[in-house]
Amino acid sequence: MFLKTISSGKEGDIILCMGNEAVARGGLEAGLSFLSTYPGTPASEIGEVFVSLKDEFPHIYAEFSINEHVAAHGAIGASWAGVRSMLTMKHVGMNVAAEPLHFLGYTGVGKGLVIIVGSDPGATCSTSEQDDRWYSLHTHIPILEPSNIQEAKNFTVMAFDLSERFNMPFIINTPTRLCHNIGSLRLGAMPAEPPAPGKFTANPSRYVNLFAGSVANHARNLDAIEKLREAVPTLGLNRIIPGSAKVGIISSSINYLYAMEALDLLGLHDVPVMKIEMSYPLNADYVARFVAPLETVYIVEELEGFLEFQIKSLLYDKGLRTDIRGKSLFPATGELNCDVVIDALSQELGKPRPRAVEEAEEKAAELLTDLPPRIGAFCAGCPHRATVYSLVKATGRDCVFAGDIGCYTLSSLPPFEAYDWVTCMNCGLATGQAMCFVGEDRPVVAYVGDSTFFHSGLPALINAALNGSDVLLVIMDNQWVAMTGHQTTPTTGVDLNDNRLPKIELPGLLRSLGVKYVRTINPYKVRDTIATMKDALERKGLRVIISRGECALQQDRRSRRHPVDYEEYYEIEPSRCQRCDECYLEFACPAIRERQENGDKIYYIEDSLCTRCGACADICLNSAINRIELRRYKASGGAI
Amino acid sequence: MIDYDILISGIGGQGVITLGTILKLAALEEGLEVFGSEARGGAQREGVVTSNVRYRKYDPADKIPMERRVCSSVIPKGSADLLISLEPLEALRHAVYLNSNSVVISNTFTLLPVHVRLGKADYPPLDEIIERLRQFTPHVHMFNIDELSLNNFDDLRHVNVICVGLAAALANLPISDDAILNVVKSELPGFEANKRGFELGKSEALAG
Repeated sequence: MFLKTISSGKEGDIILCMGNEAVARGGLEAGLSFLSTYPGTPASEIGEVFVSLKDEFPHIYAEFSINEHVAAHGAIGASWAGVRSMLTMKHVGMNVAAEPLHFLGYTGVGKGLVIIVGSDPGATCSTSEQDDRWYSLHTHIPILEPSNIQEAKNFTVMAFDLSERFNMPFIINTPTRLCHNIGSLRLGAMPAEPPAPGKFTANPSRYVNLFAGSVANHARNLDAIEKLREAVPTLGLNRIIPGSAKVGIISSSINYLYAMEALDLLGLHDVPVMKIEMSYPLNADYVARFVAPLETVYIVEELEGFLEFQIKSLLYDKGLRTDIRGKSLFPATGELNCDVVIDALSQELGKPRPRAVEEAEEKAAELLTDLPPRIGAFCAGCPHRATVYSLVKATGRDCVFAGDIGCYTLSSLPPFEAYDWVTCMNCGLATGQAMCFVGEDRPVVAYVGDSTFFHSGLPALINAALNGSDVLLVIMDNQWVAMTGHQTTPTTGVDLNDNRLPKIELPGLLRSLGVKYVRTINPYKVRDTIATMKDALERKGLRVIISRGECALQQDRRSRRHPVDYEEYYEIEPSRCQRCDECYLEFACPAIRERQENGDKIYYIEDSLCTRCGACADICLNSAINRIELRRYKASGGAI
Repeated sequence: MIDYDILISGIGGQGVITLGTILKLAALEEGLEVFGSEARGGAQREGVVTSNVRYRKYDPADKIPMERRVCSSVIPKGSADLLISLEPLEALRHAVYLNSNSVVISNTFTLLPVHVRLGKADYPPLDEIIERLRQFTPHVHMFNIDELSLNNFDDLRHVNVICVGLAAALANLPISDDAILNVVKSELPGFEANKRGFELGKSEALAG
């Protein structure tokens, strides 16, 4: 959003930017040469910054990798080859990257390697809110937790130095409420020279892990973490805000801000606070010195009790029995905020809540409980809406809907509700292809987007082909990773500026993997699509339908760059419309709306939202939706 | 010391985040510290979107030590000085952030949620929305901002800048018109029309 200032801003400038962009600026200031990522909200924008700065910083290589496993290996390769590298992903990406990351402690890094993990308390853009910090208890990768946009940048720069000094990768954990926050950032200096190119140096005792060598590296890993643990008080990380009260607070990340603001609003200005900036490893002496004079310590952290678990264990070893309260007061699920901290501390410490909070809550309980919810929906013109509509019609819902992760997950919501499960990437086909083997006799229909399919769907498809599974897979190829902000996929083919991109031809790929039934459909031709789906449903074995329609947002953006010489629009002819509700309720395109006209309710198409996909005209059983074409004056021909 | 919190609410695609960005950049022009948070939701369209905009300027002579003067990114309940909503139901949904001094500026143009379309929930009548908002604060200002933009500019792209004009006239913002217009000039295409939109917002506020 603010790319210009992120790349061109000078030391000391104060700019407005997003948390993710601050991390990217940190990478630039640290002189990184390599970035790999699989797009995942809330962390997607970091990769976007580097990909879009390719011309400005030609020495930086950045890629949208095929998945997090490959992205992690790529970043490791770059680091071993002697350049600073960064790996970014969303929290659940850690599950996919977990295997290579468990070896990084054994092997160590070459040049600095920093891993950005965007966590998602409240699962505002994810299928889970897992607390990734727990991984570090077995990967032994240190974690920094910035609390604001400034620290997000500063810690990124610092993490590269620490990574090289301690020969281990560093994780920066940034929750959604930091990744996506927009606020002010004071810029630091950029490197004077681009970094030197890399060259791999073999290091077999660290990089070749086998038998006793692997055991030796495990010991070296544990030893290295202990050395870092001892060094904690000398690193300039972690901070104590002194106070004379007998109770104290330990917090990290954005929760530190919530805790401080809550103390301010409750008028508790004498409570000492320890701000943890490196949440793994913790130093026992440092924590014990803060805790020892206190009677009670409250640990304010979002999601699970990662700090609490470590601190209780460290204090036990120190013989301290101070009352430590964390997850017994603050929920382990959902987002934390200032209000939750105020409620807990006010009750614990007997301080009344601010009057404005009390009043607002009382009125809200009386006046705001019956509001209709507002849920997300497919955009107007979305090819997924048309595909899912056809799937529901073709199957009559007498099937198992094996859904997956992407924009199409919205089909789990009204009005479609055509989803029997959604968990992790490729949970649809991989889970669904097994059901025919245990007697499930309804058709199993798996559906997946192009990016998710290439992320990890190929092994599941090969498995289904080799084992003769009876399953219908619909690949909804919209040619972009749409939900995370339109990064490219292996089927993108051409970008918004008409640059040709390397692409994979799906039908050929599928046939070479042994899929005999492959059909490609245009989802906006709804009647044809339903017919093809019915044909596929009547057959047995592994069948794949490719539903090919570009993301409507991208198509719309491109069409604005290339105005055509005629205009078309769609309209509902009120005299033919029977108000059967098929377009308004079953298809539910947001561009089809209802208004009062001459005392009657009529449906109409809001032209400013319509993308001219034409699907509604194909659906209408009464031919009430018409495509109107207006020829414009053609300069070349001169005809009207 | 300046301590001013703005909450903006609306629906995906209405420009909530752009509006927040304009108000944040204008505050940087004024030399204020700016904090905030955007809730974008998982969906591209139809979902609820909010932007928290928090202005701060701390006084070092204050008796509370500076290291305890911390601003988180999310406005606590009952603490918003100004709520701008691009859709009336979304104004009401966020009323828990209001107190009796808060100013509300809301669009009256309604967008029906899917549940209402499907007949699974009722959309409260506009009069009732206003009545309920007035129980939180007397300073409730409603405008059909979509209509204002359509009638004056023949598009909906000027809704945001009209909102900024309304806020500048009604809400005692700690930022000047000049700072706002400088940002509008550098960030949005078509300065003359946007400036007219801003002035239109200001004059509508005085008329309404």
